[in-house]
Amino acid sequence: MKDPTASLVLAAHLALLSSISFGGFPTVLPDVRSLVTANGWATDQEFANFFAISQIVPGPNMILMMSFVGLKVGGIPGAITSAFATFGPPCLMYYTSYRLWDRFRDRAWQQMVRRGLAPLTIGLVIAGGYVMARAADTSWQRALVTAVAVGLLLATRLSPLWILLAGGVLGGLGLLTPWE
Amino acid sequence: MNQTVEARRVEERVALTALFFGFLKVSLLGFGGGLVWARRIVVDQQRWLNDHEFAEILTLCQFMPGPNIVGITLCSGSKLRGPLGAVSAVAGFILIPWTVGLAFGSLCLQYAHLPILQNILGGLSSAAAGLMIATGIRLLMPQRSRQTALLFAALAFTGMVVAKLPLLVVLFGLAPVSIAIAGIASPRVR
Repeated sequence: MKDPTASLVLAAHLALLSSISFGGFPTVLPDVRSLVTANGWATDQEFANFFAISQIVPGPNMILMMSFVGLKVGGIPGAITSAFATFGPPCLMYYTSYRLWDRFRDRAWQQMVRRGLAPLTIGLVIAGGYVMARAADTSWQRALVTAVAVGLLLATRLSPLWILLAGGVLGGLGLLTPWE
Repeated sequence: MNQTVEARRVEERVALTALFFGFLKVSLLGFGGGLVWARRIVVDQQRWLNDHEFAEILTLCQFMPGPNIVGITLCSGSKLRGPLGAVSAVAGFILIPWTVGLAFGSLCLQYAHLPILQNILGGLSSAAAGLMIATGIRLLMPQRSRQTALLFAALAFTGMVVAKLPLLVVLFGLAPVSIAIAGIASPRVR
């Protein structure tokens, strides 16, 4: 099972996928999944669990998720190579493009591009939150938690940590489960 | 527009360790969406960047492949302290949280099916979704006087949520129009 060639094959695939993962790594998750299951490195259920756990652990979720796959395939070295393959190539691209962007900072066309793109980006952030809410809010109680969280973050200087904690506690007490 | 931040940057450079620990915090607190914390720490708490600069970095990162939040970390570090700043910020974001997460996660994977854990996760994700929406609204505030900006934010939202178009289609479909209108609408373009 702990096969070094498998780790390298996985790392090479991840490096390729992370380089084309426009819109974030979740967009290439289906490809990773078919690679992993086709090679028998993990079952569908295991893959789903990797996803769930990487979402609750704080920190770099997708890097961590790929590291769980790497861990399964090649132990600790597999986890480390997977991590690097996931964030290495995009980091080089971020760095190069940011330097280029910065160099042309004062040009008129760049100000135009900036003014044009910023609203789109922000719309996408709100859409991302909305899509998350649609997936998470399986009961009206949960939808209420989402709405209250929006209000609290906008209207108060309360730390988001307390808001998250409150959501977790209410859920843990069983107050947010749908009533039958 | 950026003069206050620019002036402050000249008199006191942000320490590399501050970047490391700042983004370590972003990473550790970033349940279900690091963006919420990145904006809070970088803009509200440390005042390293203002909302405009943060939105600009976010925009650039959304047009690049890879984990956007790592891109935001890298670009913020690079903007404040150059290449070393970029490395410090990314190291802060990844190193410790990755190690802890891998250990803790491997343990958790054995208990992933317990109902109470599922309930807690459910409540957390509902709250996290709300925080994400609120962060987007906060970022929109500096743009609120521009009607075209509000229109294109709404169009991007609709494209994703109502029309359920793929992200790439929304981005590359709306971008040329939005840029063109921004060019026509701003009289000060030289």
